[in-house]
Amino acid sequence: MKEQLKLDITGMTCAACSSRIEKVLNKMDGVQANVNLAMETAAISFDTEQVSSNDIIARIEKLGYGARFDEAEQKQQYKEEELQRKKRKFLLSVILSIPLLYTMLAHIPVDLGLVMPHLLMNPWFQLLLATPVQFYIGGQFYVGAFKALKNKSANMDVLVTLGTSAAYFYSLAEGVKTIGNRAYMPHLYFETSAVLITLILLGKLFETIAKGKTTLAISKLLSLQAKEATVIRDGKQWQIAIDEVKVSDLLLVKPGEKIPVDGKVTLGQSSVDESMITGESIPVEKAVGDTVIGSTINKNGTLTIKAVKVGKDTALAGIIKIVEEAQGSKAPIQRVADTISGYFVPIVVAISLITFLIWYFFVRPGEFSSALETAIAVLVIACPCALGLATPTSIMVGTGKGAEMGILFKGGEHLETAHKINAIILDKTGTITKGQPIVTDFIAYEEEKKVLQYLVSAEKSSEHPLAEAIVRYGMEKRSSTLPVKRFKAVPGYGIEAKIGDDEIFVGTRKLMNLKNIASQAGEKDLSRLENEGKTAMFIAINSTMVGVVAVADTVKETAKIAVQQLMHLGIDVFMLTGDNERTAKAIAHQVGIANVIAEVLPEEKANHVKELQSKGLKVAMVGDGINDAPALAVADIGIAIGTGTDVAIEAADITILGGELTLIPKAMALSKKTMQNIRQNLFWALVYNTGGIPIAALGLLAPWVAGAAMAFSSVSVVSNSLRLKRMNI
Amino acid sequence: MEKTTLQVTGMTCGHCEKAVKTALLGVEGVSKVNVSLKDGKVEVDHDSSKAPVTKLKEAVEDQGYDVE
Repeated sequence: MKEQLKLDITGMTCAACSSRIEKVLNKMDGVQANVNLAMETAAISFDTEQVSSNDIIARIEKLGYGARFDEAEQKQQYKEEELQRKKRKFLLSVILSIPLLYTMLAHIPVDLGLVMPHLLMNPWFQLLLATPVQFYIGGQFYVGAFKALKNKSANMDVLVTLGTSAAYFYSLAEGVKTIGNRAYMPHLYFETSAVLITLILLGKLFETIAKGKTTLAISKLLSLQAKEATVIRDGKQWQIAIDEVKVSDLLLVKPGEKIPVDGKVTLGQSSVDESMITGESIPVEKAVGDTVIGSTINKNGTLTIKAVKVGKDTALAGIIKIVEEAQGSKAPIQRVADTISGYFVPIVVAISLITFLIWYFFVRPGEFSSALETAIAVLVIACPCALGLATPTSIMVGTGKGAEMGILFKGGEHLETAHKINAIILDKTGTITKGQPIVTDFIAYEEEKKVLQYLVSAEKSSEHPLAEAIVRYGMEKRSSTLPVKRFKAVPGYGIEAKIGDDEIFVGTRKLMNLKNIASQAGEKDLSRLENEGKTAMFIAINSTMVGVVAVADTVKETAKIAVQQLMHLGIDVFMLTGDNERTAKAIAHQVGIANVIAEVLPEEKANHVKELQSKGLKVAMVGDGINDAPALAVADIGIAIGTGTDVAIEAADITILGGELTLIPKAMALSKKTMQNIRQNLFWALVYNTGGIPIAALGLLAPWVAGAAMAFSSVSVVSNSLRLKRMNI
Repeated sequence: MEKTTLQVTGMTCGHCEKAVKTALLGVEGVSKVNVSLKDGKVEVDHDSSKAPVTKLKEAVEDQGYDVE
């Protein structure tokens, strides 16, 4: 049989390495390999009859390289296998249960004219069908029940085990009674236990299908790290692997390269795109003495940095560690079916016990066996067949409805908890704002058309995101451009260009001072715009101040409505940002958020979530950047913006498609409706059976009562779940 | 004791050189290996009764390089 295998390969340094591995693997019988040097992976197809995957790994390791299974691939494969296993178990369960279910029709007092083969009615044949369902397929419930009881709590597994075991052993005892007494008509409840187990398996299958992609946040984060660094030793440049970089090493970072580790600039000047770590789209100017973060991208200048933190101590490694820990330590959510089972089980056991005592002392004093029989009959009828369907059908319909609206839930449990949220933290950049700077103000002190034309022409030569915003603005205003003779960008200052015979300067106060241009004319406008949290620049032609232009990230149109809706739901809304207080307050004011947490270091975001949690609040975090990932993982509910980074999406529990913030209150509403639906379902699952308890306690239980309860509850549950689909959220 | 020069193709860096050298020295009967990366020539001192040329070739090819 042909099989596909994907391996992560380590230790390859050049193209010869990859072709060598390829060659060696292709020489093996039945193996076809393709090695990718850049991705450090090998895609291999092999014949399982001739070699095993372990042989292949051993062969690569013999060549002196490391090889291991691709984590993502493996997880996905495991998930699919699990799904297949669940499907097989369910199918087997269905096949064994159908004949038992058919016999139920015989219990109906009305003659339907059905052919009922004698074999089906034989207790031993029924036992043969029910036993594998009870113990092989249903074995997992015994394990779950045992674990729960050890923790002194009763969950759904306990209820299932109690009910099915009662039905199974009661029926077995009835069967035994027929030995030597051919006239005895046994009351068999094998179908009750078999159908209950089958329906629970169906429910679990539903939930597995409704689950989102497996989480790969960690491997995504790891792939962001720079692989190599250029170290300067004895005045020479050496290319070394990232692991070999030591603290105090001097590293050279060329334009376009990733900064290898956390460090301090010792030489040079450049702007660095830190958006992947901080979420801020505008590059940060770096000069001697400034700190730089590993894995961020150096844009336009060459920097020499001194390594300060390497390996496990870098900011990225810190983020990885927090995400890893948070994902590993998230406590399983107490699901509502378990909570209700926790009450139902002791009540039913108590009723059963009371029934026993009443029968033993009053109804038929001294008759132990009939008292026991009646007591067990109570347990048999209390076993709610539709229980296993109650939660999953609602979850399945709920997640489906969510997906239709653009809300992706990663698992059913998040749909159950989302409505419990009473505090929400919104990241600023990319969540509340669009994350892309645009020109917000353009003020000209001379002929506007000409100033704009000069400004756009000059900025067209720059690759800075601020320049891109200005050029886009020029296009919107249909401004024509002039040919630029000379262009120079001065990092940290601005730009200068020569157009015709004129010199044009766009930039900060520092640039104007440097060029001896009087800036008083624009000073008032510049200060005002800066106070509004915008990035403002002077425009000068030759030595005259001609205007001011301001660029800022703008708030999403629906952000204000979303915030209002959240507050209306009684949720405390917070805004969290790494930006300075002034800009943060300006944005918060626009969307109506009073609680602002500004100037937060990337690694501190998760701590703010924990702080709110320690006050007893259920906290949701909404974000899009890599620096949000730890907070998303730590929060009770992490909500990623679909337009954000993959890492944030992987770390979150819910993803909002298209970045539409009004979907957040909708997600809460959907969660609330789904929870109501689950509770209704649990009611319907239990009510018919509960109604049967007095009948059983009176000693009148017959198989048709159990059958009717089973049929009615299942139909009620399924049709109630479907109601959710038509609801308006 | 004999001296054989093998023409090996596919070696590009120090890593390759070392791989070939180690592989040949691992063959019983090989006493000395000299690899010239530039022209792909590999000089091997070996006892041909224990380590015939075919065996040397095999060892190199096993590492993923071609011997002409």
